[in-house]
Amino acid sequence: MSDSADTKTTPSPGFWREAWQRYRRRRLSMFALYFIGLLSLVAICSPMIAGTKPIVCKYKGNIYFPCMGYFNTNWENPIFQKDRFRRVYPRNLKRKDPQSWAIWPLVYQDPYRPVRSNEWGNGEAGNPFGSDGRPSRTNWFGTYKTGYDIFASMVHGTKIALLVGFVSTGIAAILGIAVGAFAGYVGGWVDIVLSRIIELVMCMPSLVLILALIAVIDQPTIWHMMIVLGLTGWTSMARLTRAEFLKLRESEFVAAARCLGVSRRRIIFRHILPNALAPVMVPIAFGIAAAILIEAGLSLLGFGAPPPNPSWGTVLNSGKETLQSGYYWQLLFPGIAIFLTVLAYNLIGEGIQESTDPRLADPKN
Amino acid sequence: MVSYLVRRFFIGVLTLMLITFVIYGLIRNMPGSPLDTDPAMMDPSKMPSKADIQRMVEIYGLDKPWYQAYFTWLGNAASLEFGHSYSQKKPVVDLIKQRIWPTLQLSVTSLILTYLLAIPMGLFTTVRSGKPDERGLSFLLYMLYSFPSFVAALFLQLIFAVHFRDTWLELPLFGNTSSDHDMMSSMGQAWDSLTHMILPVTCFTYGALAYYCRFVKANMEEVIQQDYIRTAKAKGLGPVRILLHHAFRNTLIPFVTLLGLTLPGLLSGAIILEQIFNWPGMGELFFFSIGTRDYPTMMALTLMFSILTLLGQLLADILYVFVDPRISYT
Repeated sequence: MSDSADTKTTPSPGFWREAWQRYRRRRLSMFALYFIGLLSLVAICSPMIAGTKPIVCKYKGNIYFPCMGYFNTNWENPIFQKDRFRRVYPRNLKRKDPQSWAIWPLVYQDPYRPVRSNEWGNGEAGNPFGSDGRPSRTNWFGTYKTGYDIFASMVHGTKIALLVGFVSTGIAAILGIAVGAFAGYVGGWVDIVLSRIIELVMCMPSLVLILALIAVIDQPTIWHMMIVLGLTGWTSMARLTRAEFLKLRESEFVAAARCLGVSRRRIIFRHILPNALAPVMVPIAFGIAAAILIEAGLSLLGFGAPPPNPSWGTVLNSGKETLQSGYYWQLLFPGIAIFLTVLAYNLIGEGIQESTDPRLADPKN
Repeated sequence: MVSYLVRRFFIGVLTLMLITFVIYGLIRNMPGSPLDTDPAMMDPSKMPSKADIQRMVEIYGLDKPWYQAYFTWLGNAASLEFGHSYSQKKPVVDLIKQRIWPTLQLSVTSLILTYLLAIPMGLFTTVRSGKPDERGLSFLLYMLYSFPSFVAALFLQLIFAVHFRDTWLELPLFGNTSSDHDMMSSMGQAWDSLTHMILPVTCFTYGALAYYCRFVKANMEEVIQQDYIRTAKAKGLGPVRILLHHAFRNTLIPFVTLLGLTLPGLLSGAIILEQIFNWPGMGELFFFSIGTRDYPTMMALTLMFSILTLLGQLLADILYVFVDPRISYT
């Protein structure tokens, strides 16, 4: 760095900064971003919003955080198992240690089991089900199956919905960008072979491939599904990255870098990739929306996460099975949640598209 | 052109072989076999003898590793012999023939409806761009576009089949005909089929509507900025003639591509929607054949879907030449 105290220059804002400024001006897209932020917050805090395990409790002289058990069963202190709590905290805390206190989640409902009667020891009723399971003060969104609370299931299902979107699209993006970058930069027969593979995967009917892949797995979990969605959804990103790399490979700044003796890896990662990413961001946002849709659709077909796992699609599926009884709450709430999330990602994708489009980047707006 | 077509044909055949090879491998490696899912096997009194099972294993080709069995299948498929469905004991071709009509009934109706509605709407949104009515329509369409079709299907079923039950607004919950369809008069039969189609066609159409409308608008906006539109205006042509004759005709190329890409969707049906509406179409057949591990049916359907996808792409590329004289493959 040379000493330039006298010459003050303001660096022109970078591409991403400009794009972000343009994005911020789109009110709906910003709103969508806030909505996804809110959902992430709900997903992270889900045991504090709805659960039957205290957030914090003092029991026999020690402080415990039983709600962590919702993230990982091992994080729930074994003392509660040893003392035969049998997952019912309120009654047992009081009975086994009258000195104990606890801070409870906002809603005392569990996604993994129906709340039974007398859990607080006051003789209160358990969760109703069937036609009695309509939304009420205790079950805000009603209940499904044998009295599982829909609000709790949906709060905890947020985690799955977001994870499915992020993880599967993350896998797809990494795979797509890697294949596309390799094909575009190396060119030649590598490009021909990789392009044929991309076309091959594109020609496979995607739902056929997804169903076949999932059926191959013996006991599919939600993680398997994310991997399958990732493995089938990378082609559009690969094509876009390839096209960008083909174009940028011949550009002056890459030639300049090459003349300076910059290593191939540095050229790919530092010089070309950041410039090639903008167009790929758009299919990433739309890909997340598609992944959430497919996950819910597969749950609806009965290929989803196994029953104890709360997901929006599982609640929807239960609503589909009891459709003729007219339990509208089992369809309405998960349906609206899926719709809003998909809408949010579509709006974000659109926002990125408009704000990174160089043709629209004129100074007048 | 001929050499181009020949090249495309060979690449296409190669692609098809690779696709079916991958899918065959996946299908054969699914846990369970067609023998476990056969209802006859569940019944202890009709339990076939060991020799029978052995015979079935041989007939189905399950005794061979999948990559060998694939080439047997490929040889048969090349001579258009797709075998018998394991679960329904009928030739696969007959099964598919039964299912084509119900699927086409939905997809073609919905495609025609989409075009009939989307093109005027797209032109309308181009002309009124930025005005409140255009903003309102675009917003509504965008919401519909993001509304998952299977959620809409369930909502519509709940409203029209359950909530309005026994009122004049009632629509059938699922299926493509009522159980007493055969006893009806021909008018009654037509009415019966029509009422069964309303909900599925709605679900098939509304999402595509927004997509096509935006597609028309996006392409129109590009075209109306061209110099020849200004020229047409300058020489005093009316707005309708400019819009339809000068602008819209030039957006036909992307439209043709889109048409080519919708071809596979016409026959493959929508697995999830057909499942929800219990519609006896191709998507439902495929879903059922996965459940029963019905290898011949699955493979025949996969082959058909893949051929259609490739044909659709080829068709789009060829139609390009006819729509746009600037493109040629010589």
